[in-house]
Amino acid sequence: MDTPKRQDPGCYTEHGVSGYGIAVKLSHPTATEEAEIKSMAEEMMLNIAEKCMARGARCIGHIKSHVRTDAGTLKADTIGVNHGAFSSGSLDHAVADLYMAVNSIVQGIHQEEVRHATLEGIHQVAEARGWSVQTEKEHAYFDEFDFTASKEDYKRQLEEQLAAMDQPEKPEEV
Amino acid sequence: MKITQVAGFLGCGKTTLMLRLSRELAGADRKIALVVNEIGEIPVDGKVIEESGMRVKDIGGGCICCEVASTFAKTVYGLYKDFNPDHVLVEPTGVAVPHQVKMAARMSGRDAKIIMGPAIVLFDATRPGELLDMDMLGQLVTTQVKDADVVAISKVDAVDESQLETTTDKIRELNASAEILRLSSFTGLGLKRIQEIILQWKG
Repeated sequence: MDTPKRQDPGCYTEHGVSGYGIAVKLSHPTATEEAEIKSMAEEMMLNIAEKCMARGARCIGHIKSHVRTDAGTLKADTIGVNHGAFSSGSLDHAVADLYMAVNSIVQGIHQEEVRHATLEGIHQVAEARGWSVQTEKEHAYFDEFDFTASKEDYKRQLEEQLAAMDQPEKPEEV
Repeated sequence: MKITQVAGFLGCGKTTLMLRLSRELAGADRKIALVVNEIGEIPVDGKVIEESGMRVKDIGGGCICCEVASTFAKTVYGLYKDFNPDHVLVEPTGVAVPHQVKMAARMSGRDAKIIMGPAIVLFDATRPGELLDMDMLGQLVTTQVKDADVVAISKVDAVDESQLETTTDKIRELNASAEILRLSSFTGLGLKRIQEIILQWKG
């Protein structure tokens, strides 16, 4: 992905739009089927949307998630509680670990409020269903995949990317 | 290399349309590249499209119509130089202003041979009031509609005929010159017409 330098505040800030993104790893004591993971992801999207509105948001742009596992990928999203949540994708077997990127874009509240709502929503829904949040990396996502890799290698790529997010950024070369 | 943007407010179905449109356009041995821009720092859409096997360039870190316009121009030039596709489909952020995206794309025209395709703006049929009647947000969505060469009213399978007619009238009041069509990525309605418009657009 191109990594441009930030310049002036974007046009969207003039319209009161704030965005927040986070990558998390969730683990469950037992392998969990696709239907339950989709249900959790949908509930999470709605919970985050609800929390944003409770904090004063006027409109949900979208709350989106992309779930990666060694059994396949899923996505879930909502554009507001009244619109419901939708999920797609498939897993070819039950999984105990999943890697999730969540992107919340909301109008009417500041980014810090969007951040709180997103974090609380992820934790509340995941933990109520027996998942524990193992790692969370703000302003980050999973990138750089070899989609032809074996399942073991695919999971290793995810773990390596999470670990790399811990590394301090290298100073820019002059 | 024709540059077509699929714009519209957040959640209106841009990524779903991009996926279907790119598959259709690529079907006749055309080289297609996609550029996806998202705010919020997590390029979920780009990753979803990438998994479909399409050539995708993600641009993060801001909006291509303003903050990172120069990065967008460089990306377009890079695609021209390295891949030289027949069509580049651009999905700006849901808060981007289409005429500013066009201006940013034209910056790449100094070094790359480009034709500007249409600005196709999606408008979500399930929430016209939510989008148009709010003060700050309404201004943004109104600008997006006014800037459109084509307005595709999306998710038409989810609303009834009278709602659709009301929405069409509102759109027509804002933009009398744009073609207005009905789109359902679920049923495929409107997809063929959008494809025709892109292919026949003279710039």
